[in-house]
Amino acid sequence: MAIPSTTHHAWLEIVTGKRSHPLRFLAAKVLLGRLVHAVEEDPSPENIADCITQLHQLYASNLHIPKVQEDLKNIFG
Amino acid sequence: MSQAILTVDEAKEAIAKGRVLLLAGDEAVLRSLPNGAWVGGTIPYFMSNKYGGLASRELVFATDITEVATGWELQRYDAETVAQVYVNAPENGFSFILIPASCPTHLSFALNAPNYEQFGVRPLVGWIAGVHLEDLGKITPKAINGQTGEVIEDGALVMAVTLPAGKAASLGIVNLFEQGDGDTLTFPETGFSAREVFVNGKRTNFAQYLTEKQLDTKLPLVADYYGALVNISFQGVDAAQGVVNFYAPVFSGIRYKHAKPVTDYVADFKNKLAQDCSLDDTRLVFSCNCILNYLYSELEGKKTQPFVGPITFGEIAYQLLNQTLVYVEMHDV
Repeated sequence: MAIPSTTHHAWLEIVTGKRSHPLRFLAAKVLLGRLVHAVEEDPSPENIADCITQLHQLYASNLHIPKVQEDLKNIFG
Repeated sequence: MSQAILTVDEAKEAIAKGRVLLLAGDEAVLRSLPNGAWVGGTIPYFMSNKYGGLASRELVFATDITEVATGWELQRYDAETVAQVYVNAPENGFSFILIPASCPTHLSFALNAPNYEQFGVRPLVGWIAGVHLEDLGKITPKAINGQTGEVIEDGALVMAVTLPAGKAASLGIVNLFEQGDGDTLTFPETGFSAREVFVNGKRTNFAQYLTEKQLDTKLPLVADYYGALVNISFQGVDAAQGVVNFYAPVFSGIRYKHAKPVTDYVADFKNKLAQDCSLDDTRLVFSCNCILNYLYSELEGKKTQPFVGPITFGEIAYQLLNQTLVYVEMHDV
């Protein structure tokens, strides 16, 4: 399963809290709980890019997990 | 894969056969076991298929992962090096971690795990070792390296488990607590204790607030992490000193709410499983639950099937959790 690159707008929408998705991958939920807050505190482009990279790395490293595949379908269609 | 209560003789037999085991038991019991392919944490409370919840200083709870482990390695960390636990995780597998309660490594992990390098990239599951409640303050919790017999009071022992090709592990939690409808609480500082809190943005003394509101401290604070509800359990309220202590750290900036009451844990547990847990129990590898759920919900003699396992002083699913059931399930991929 392919994963959209970090430049895909959906990653930005997630970490900035502009759009939320009912995720199933526990690690992503826990990480996002922190990242969304971190972006609220520091919405600089550098921090947003760092948060997107962390989330992308998490999903990219777990593409074989069924819950990850469900999340990616949910986020990117 | 199996999770079962064993006698000491049965545990010795399993070790002698070379089974790969995650063990839980009273310190004396674990110390009596021969070296082998196991790691253990001290705790004499368990949930079991046979007896339901029970306390025993004679029995051992064994999670046998022989069938799913194509390889394993025991790693030892201290309060600083535990930050590498995700980096050192197996490429295809999971890491099972044991940390004795209240040691510096426990505190360090609790505070810092969410910021560890490669957080969550590989499954990290485990629990905080404890003692019989009659022994609190008398003896210390331990983690034991079954390969060498080494017993540690401070540090973390990790069994890094490699899975066969075509298998993958994922973690799940069952948390019966939900955010209540009351005030939104945020804390000015991260820590295991809090003197002050922002109640809907207004700064006040937290101990005084809890006392005035007569909030039940058996119910945790609950934070919503993007749909995952994460509890912070109360250890105690020192009204004289104006300090509230927790079993896990509150994090500054995170929004908490006091939990709604849980009236009947076992009934609510069954409802929760029916509602939102699509677990096939044949895929279940490991589970553990919290000593506070065991105590407050009076789980002795009661069953929470398909989940069994040690009753712990803290649960770990990527980071430290409280009053939460944690499990590992296996997938064919």
